[in-house]
Amino acid sequence: MTTEPTEPGRVPGPRRGPLSGVRVADFCWMGVGSVATRLLADFGAEVIKIEDRNRLDTPRRLPIYKGDLRSYGDEDANPDPNKGGLFNNYCRNKLGVTINMKSESGRALAERLISASSVVTENFAPGVMERWGLTYDRLRELREDVIFARMSGYGHSGPHHEYRSYGPVIQAVSGMSFISGLPDREPSGWGLSYMDNQAAYYNSAALLMAIFNRQRTGQGMEVDASAVEIGISLLGPDLLDTLVNQRPSRRPGFPRGNRSAHDDVAPHGVYPAAGDDQWVAITVTDDAEWGRLVAAMGEPDWAREERFATGRGRREHEDDLDKLMTSWTSGLDKHAITELLQGAEVTAGAVQDPRDLDEVDPQIAARGTFFDLDHPVIGPARFEGTPIAFSETVQENWRSAPLLGEDNHYVFGEVLGLGDDELAELEAEGAI
Amino acid sequence: MTEQLPYAGITVVELADDPAGEHVGKLLADLGATVLKVEPPEGATSRRTGPYVTGREGDPDASLAFWTYNTGKQSITVEPSERAATVADLARTADVLLSTASPRELAEEGWSHEQLRADNPALVVLSVTPFGLTGPWADRRTSELVGLALGGTLNSCGYDDHSIPPVLPGGNQTYEMAASYAHIGLLLALIERQATGRGQLVDVSMHEANAVSGELANPYWFYPKAIVKRQTNRHAQPVATQSATFRCADGVYVYFALILSEPRAWKTLVDWMSDHDLAADLTDPAYDDVAYRQQSFSHVQELVEVFFLLMDSETAYHEGQRRGLPIGPLRALEELADDEHLRERGYFVDIDVDGTTATFPGVPYRTSAFHAVPGPPPRLGQHTDQIRAEEVAR
Repeated sequence: MTTEPTEPGRVPGPRRGPLSGVRVADFCWMGVGSVATRLLADFGAEVIKIEDRNRLDTPRRLPIYKGDLRSYGDEDANPDPNKGGLFNNYCRNKLGVTINMKSESGRALAERLISASSVVTENFAPGVMERWGLTYDRLRELREDVIFARMSGYGHSGPHHEYRSYGPVIQAVSGMSFISGLPDREPSGWGLSYMDNQAAYYNSAALLMAIFNRQRTGQGMEVDASAVEIGISLLGPDLLDTLVNQRPSRRPGFPRGNRSAHDDVAPHGVYPAAGDDQWVAITVTDDAEWGRLVAAMGEPDWAREERFATGRGRREHEDDLDKLMTSWTSGLDKHAITELLQGAEVTAGAVQDPRDLDEVDPQIAARGTFFDLDHPVIGPARFEGTPIAFSETVQENWRSAPLLGEDNHYVFGEVLGLGDDELAELEAEGAI
Repeated sequence: MTEQLPYAGITVVELADDPAGEHVGKLLADLGATVLKVEPPEGATSRRTGPYVTGREGDPDASLAFWTYNTGKQSITVEPSERAATVADLARTADVLLSTASPRELAEEGWSHEQLRADNPALVVLSVTPFGLTGPWADRRTSELVGLALGGTLNSCGYDDHSIPPVLPGGNQTYEMAASYAHIGLLLALIERQATGRGQLVDVSMHEANAVSGELANPYWFYPKAIVKRQTNRHAQPVATQSATFRCADGVYVYFALILSEPRAWKTLVDWMSDHDLAADLTDPAYDDVAYRQQSFSHVQELVEVFFLLMDSETAYHEGQRRGLPIGPLRALEELADDEHLRERGYFVDIDVDGTTATFPGVPYRTSAFHAVPGPPPRLGQHTDQIRAEEVAR
């Protein structure tokens, strides 16, 4: 509640980083929007996440809890909104306020917050911001040089702009799922909402681009980024092969599974290692690398067969080659194979799971990719950091995710200047 | 609308030789930067990898891998003996040096990041490498498949049948994750430079970019200490879930997650099936109870399978979406440019490449301030004379 005292160490204050001084009225929720604005919060922006107590952000509901394993869909009817691990991961370094946008005084308060901000972000279904009157024109009346970032599946124009989507639908419609799998069977596609991450990253970049541009020109802008269009821009050379050469992707042998696009590159696969469902990827680009691999494997007789001497030969006999490679990898530890082959200048790597990344991988440990923050309800938790080492720029991880409405008092009181009686009134009428 | 592109006036010296570095250079060029791509006389690696424009196999100006990642850049070819001097010269007045060299490769160059930054303190050195410039793996070898394996993505991708290994998703995505973070990292450095006037070294690690992009995978490990398992074309999870892809009459699959717990989505689905006389017993009031629906899951799943099998995928897509259901066909690449929505938004653009008109994906940002369109990819060495002349003029 708004009147609860903030715990020590969780009190908002001036931020460090290149975005310090940038205040963001953040209407984002779910995955794409929350990850996009997290980047701004990490680097000093005052990102004020605006939530609705009557419609909890999905990551607050999803049962990714410490010590309590459940599937994604196995939600509580009335979950503790402060317990969700995914929300903690997505909303660190942000402030959190609650506004009931169905109430008139709630909407007035949101407009006051927008006037005091210079960036507004949203990833609702099309029409929601319009229903609240929060169009780009209105936002510019509130703040002339505002940056308004709109993140959606299909964009805000065109005949399908109202279509509903989330990661797997975007991946399907953009072609990313079809190009992923073994030939001549159902695509295996993606085992994650990859496009939630990529759309988020493209939206983070769009926000930074707009901030950079505003500091040069004094002008804000509205950005309309469609996840489907971002997905298509990530399809790679196969897309131009179709567009320029009219070569259909529905063709025998496509997609390629784990095999190379080139007819002289093999082995190029994922091979079983010791243990249950453990694997190692090995890719050999040329004959010199093949020679190093053969030496590292201890020169088995089969590897010296004439048919495997050239890239084209290995490619031609790849089914046999893969079986023989499997006979070598099976029974060996995936990390041991990685060390042996990388030591011999052969391109290889274990299929690492999150435990490997967190507990085994010396590169992640040395670079400090993951970090820890305490949370009042969850306790200490691990976070995915930014995969960049800057010589100057600082990422200040000052706080884990906000409790529901944790910063109402600070934002509405100290930032917007509302008095205690006004706050009490808004609370009493259910506007915050 | 002010038509100035956001990166107009920014000069980038590109020494990129993989899709991660080349794609971030392309984004910068598409959005207005002057990107000088320094190439060896035989051209960048992407010029020597296919696929090629049909009939021009092996032509360094006709590699579609090069076209994909190098629109709008300028190409300067440099002999190995002149490389260090040229890079030092160009970097002295540039805003950004974009490099994909590992520490070991850097040691063989005739210049160093430190020296270039000392000569031009405002220079941002954007390094995009497989593992980052520091740490025990900094000089290890990688590839698309190995990068996704080590980074954790591959663990989530593949089929329900675990006798099949994890399967590579298409399109150079391990590099794309690094490219996205490189764009972000560079912008943070340029914004910081607006305040301080100083550049810096931005060291992007592809491996780390992969390791932080697993969506649910890391949170499932960080919180309940569970490892997600791959499942065919749907979220990897600690426990198995029902299939979410359905084959349609035209042989195309649609993605549709059947979520029984949401009453509105359930009613929408049953109404839709009823309108096609395919709801069978699902209209029975017993199914109003979520527990009964969940008990009858495999029966429901079978009826939905039949429903989609009798309908073509485009009908399923548009009818389902018009009823408010998030559903999408697994489109093949040849189906994208004909999509009416993308056509109306003008997403695909025709670019004149040396007298041939070719269709390219556009810039995935629509803004009120500018309209960006990719420029043609350069011929090998197309801008060498021009860049040399400008160098002399400076």
